[in-house]
Amino acid sequence: MSVFYEQFNRHSHGEGLKGHSTHYCPGCGHGLVHRDLAEAIDGLGIQDRTVLISPVGCAVFAHYYFDVGNSQAAHGRAPAVALGHKLANPEAVVISYQGDGDLASIGLAETISIAQMGLPLTVIFVNNAIYGMTGGQLAPTSLMGQRTATSPEGRGREMGRPLKMAELIAQLDGPVYVERVALYDAKQRVKARKAIRKALQFQVEGRGYAFVEVLAECPTHLKLSPPETEEWVKTQMEPVFPLGVKKDLTVDPWFKRGAPSFEPEAVLGLSGADPLGEQRPATPWPPHLHANDIAIKLAGAGGDGAQTAALLLTRAAIAEGYDATHIPSYGPESRGGTSYADVHIAEGEVLNPAAPEPHVLLAFNAPSLAKFAPQVAEGGVILYDSTIVKDPTGLPPGRRIIPIPFTQIAADLGRPMVKNIVALGAMQAVVNVLPAGSILDTLHQVLKDKPALLPLNDSAFAAGQQAAEALHATA
Amino acid sequence: MSNATSARPKPFLQPEYCKGCLRCIEACPRDCITPGDEINPLTGLRPVALHLDNCNGCSLCIQACPEPYGLRRQAARPCVGDDFELEDPAKLFGERQVANHSAGDVPDTFVPLPACDPMILKGTYAAAIGALLAGCRHVFGYPITPSTEGAELMAKILPKLNGSFVQAVSEVAAVNMMYGAGGAGVPCLTFTSSPGFSLMLEGISYMIGAEVPGVFINIMRGGPGLGNIGPEQADIKLACRGLGHGNTHALVLAPSTPQEMLELTREAFELSFLYRNPVVILGDGYLGQMTGIVKLPATLRRPGLPAWAVWGDRAHRHNLICSIALEETDLEQRNRHLNIKYAEISAHEQRSDLYRCEDAEMLVVACNTPARMAKGAVEAARAHGVKAGLFRPITLWPFPIDALLPVLPTVRQLIVVEASPGQLEDEMRLALSHAGIAPPPIDHVRRFGGLLPQQSEILAKILNYQEVLS
Ligand code: SF4
Ligand code: SF4
Ligand code: SF4
Repeated sequence: MSVFYEQFNRHSHGEGLKGHSTHYCPGCGHGLVHRDLAEAIDGLGIQDRTVLISPVGCAVFAHYYFDVGNSQAAHGRAPAVALGHKLANPEAVVISYQGDGDLASIGLAETISIAQMGLPLTVIFVNNAIYGMTGGQLAPTSLMGQRTATSPEGRGREMGRPLKMAELIAQLDGPVYVERVALYDAKQRVKARKAIRKALQFQVEGRGYAFVEVLAECPTHLKLSPPETEEWVKTQMEPVFPLGVKKDLTVDPWFKRGAPSFEPEAVLGLSGADPLGEQRPATPWPPHLHANDIAIKLAGAGGDGAQTAALLLTRAAIAEGYDATHIPSYGPESRGGTSYADVHIAEGEVLNPAAPEPHVLLAFNAPSLAKFAPQVAEGGVILYDSTIVKDPTGLPPGRRIIPIPFTQIAADLGRPMVKNIVALGAMQAVVNVLPAGSILDTLHQVLKDKPALLPLNDSAFAAGQQAAEALHATA
Repeated sequence: MSNATSARPKPFLQPEYCKGCLRCIEACPRDCITPGDEINPLTGLRPVALHLDNCNGCSLCIQACPEPYGLRRQAARPCVGDDFELEDPAKLFGERQVANHSAGDVPDTFVPLPACDPMILKGTYAAAIGALLAGCRHVFGYPITPSTEGAELMAKILPKLNGSFVQAVSEVAAVNMMYGAGGAGVPCLTFTSSPGFSLMLEGISYMIGAEVPGVFINIMRGGPGLGNIGPEQADIKLACRGLGHGNTHALVLAPSTPQEMLELTREAFELSFLYRNPVVILGDGYLGQMTGIVKLPATLRRPGLPAWAVWGDRAHRHNLICSIALEETDLEQRNRHLNIKYAEISAHEQRSDLYRCEDAEMLVVACNTPARMAKGAVEAARAHGVKAGLFRPITLWPFPIDALLPVLPTVRQLIVVEASPGQLEDEMRLALSHAGIAPPPIDHVRRFGGLLPQQSEILAKILNYQEVLS
């Protein structure tokens, strides 16, 4: 058994020589990095835990060779794919194997963000200073003056300078181990092998993210022989990309995760589901506003509590056995501006949850009243806060207009914030859609973790009711 | 390691596996290797020649050879890690936290859920809870209004269930995390909205190509470009016809109530694994924010692990998640395989909801929230004595043509209602055309830019045709 397949069946179906030869050009550095990686996997005894992510680039077919779990990623996204694997199975040893175009160009955002996250992953970065697969174009790591297919006169200043990834990654707080190595002679190859093994070990032991940059040879696109390319890496590349350990922290193993929980109680509890309680005895549908579907619009300024009141109504209606919906206005318009809510309560099913022609409007300020009052259905009810809106004009005829000083009443109770509950009480007294007990029960249910607030809210509701009844009596 | 020179085996080379790169020559301190002068007839390359009289078995040449089956130690497996002692894995790694599945295929199980009060949830929350009940413990996303609240709820809950919520650096990263987690065989999800969905399309194409499951909830907003955050339905085209490059399709589900947000999300995971394909749920901004009654299902799914997963264990070691197929015949084969899958989905997964269609002469076609306005309009039209009905596709791809055709004989006018410039209508027309059916006349009610068709507009259209036709 070896970490390399006995036959490369994915390479042209393993036919002929391809069953035992790589697709790499003669002298390509990738083969040596593969060898080091295979040795490290073998040496650590992790073949049955390893997932290798192959990139787009010359190493796109790494899965031809490694007898481990394999996934092939889109260009530049190998670290994201690796992270997905790591979180799916934290016991897996996941390796993101990438070239310079993949890691340092198109995938830079993934490279940096996932390095910074610092979860135990191993990134092997094969830097050969040129695009291989697409045919020798400028890489982010190409040297100044280097001639490539897309820098025919040599890399100039306007193309930017070569990107030093190992240094960049090392200065992030996430990684625990970063080293740059090379393959150009026996000594460097020994160091490379050790670095790759160490980078895997950091992951195996749950210590953190490790990054090894390997200066590798691409004889084909440098248009040099393999030995000449080794020399080029040594004399041209190394001065720009200094070898050595860039970061090596002593970190205790920390990454451990239990198996995900599928316990019904835990899931339901966290979702906020309550055990089946008693149904309220059904009350007959109040047909005075509509035969089977009442639309209510609540509108005010951002902090008026229109949405909270709307949700309370919706909950109360559902507890009552009706269907009900609530749609808030949202987004920038609700930040400080008008905030309005459409509520429907239906005996059967709410067909249309929008309320373009509400039966009831509860308006907390002048703009809301001006905007929505004309939309209220014939025979509908308009309640508004007469503390805030003085002598409104242009209210439509044929609707019941109920001015109640919500804010004043709430202020008299010591908490202007409860004006929305005052309003609900008033609305209850006037339109009587749901039994008062139903709304109060819901209020108590919602405030069950804040019992201190209950008396205030009860008084606010009652005060709203009384104010509306008093108005009714004098009218 | 032994340092007895004579005991160290010398290298050997099968000439056809040598690429003649010469890297080994420099590596040998004893000049045992020379460039070959003959071209190997099998490879057309010049393998090196070994003269091992002086060789001390130092293996430096082997370590310089990039080919796994190039220079090897005699009678040895390729690539031996001779510098390292094998360590006892148990000592090194401690106890395993995650079950090491011995069987390749672990089936899902369903755990009964205790009865609960109906919940009162907004659409995005309902979808999140549907996903939790489907066994999803991995959510990857990027904040975007108006879908973010679903992700926020997951960020709160998942860590407490030993799951993961990751806020990725972008939607591009998020979809690729799904490619990873889905490829490992776990159910995963993202919440996004139109611009974010656009960014994910490339990744979805890869997922379809590599047959990776995953659920995408796109709460559609106003476009094109940055548009606004109001509700729209103008991603129907993307979801049904434009899932990235290449030959792609995915089931596209269109809920219209918070209850359906839960149910369809839950079901989406099963369908996604059944077909090994992504599933897209299209909602609109209104539905995402709409609060309504949601009843919970009777069971919770505890996901197993499919045989094809790249889990990172022995039972799944031979697996590969991959969308590249270099040889044309291989790729054609894969496309044929996908086409068979698409045909199966088309045959078995069409879903729709028919409301008062039995005798409908005016048939309104609508999905998502506009279908609710349409339902209100149908009801109002019936009150006017008009035989109106609503055909609501729940799957937009495949379009539920099999349920539409039997309704058509009584229909005198089709009216497609949508918050898009005809993308739903195009799906319907295409399905009718493939079915070889000449449909009744088709008209529409369309709104854009964050506005939805209103019940009054739909009703007016219905009543207008009633007048014209009678
Ligand atoms: S093009 Fe360069 S990097 Fe790619 S296989 Fe050939 S030598 Fe290696
Ligand atoms: S084993 Fe050492 S001495 Fe023998 S051929 Fe290889 S490099 Fe030369
Ligand atoms: S290093 Fe390997 S492939 Fe290259 S010439 Fe030597 S034996 Fe052949």
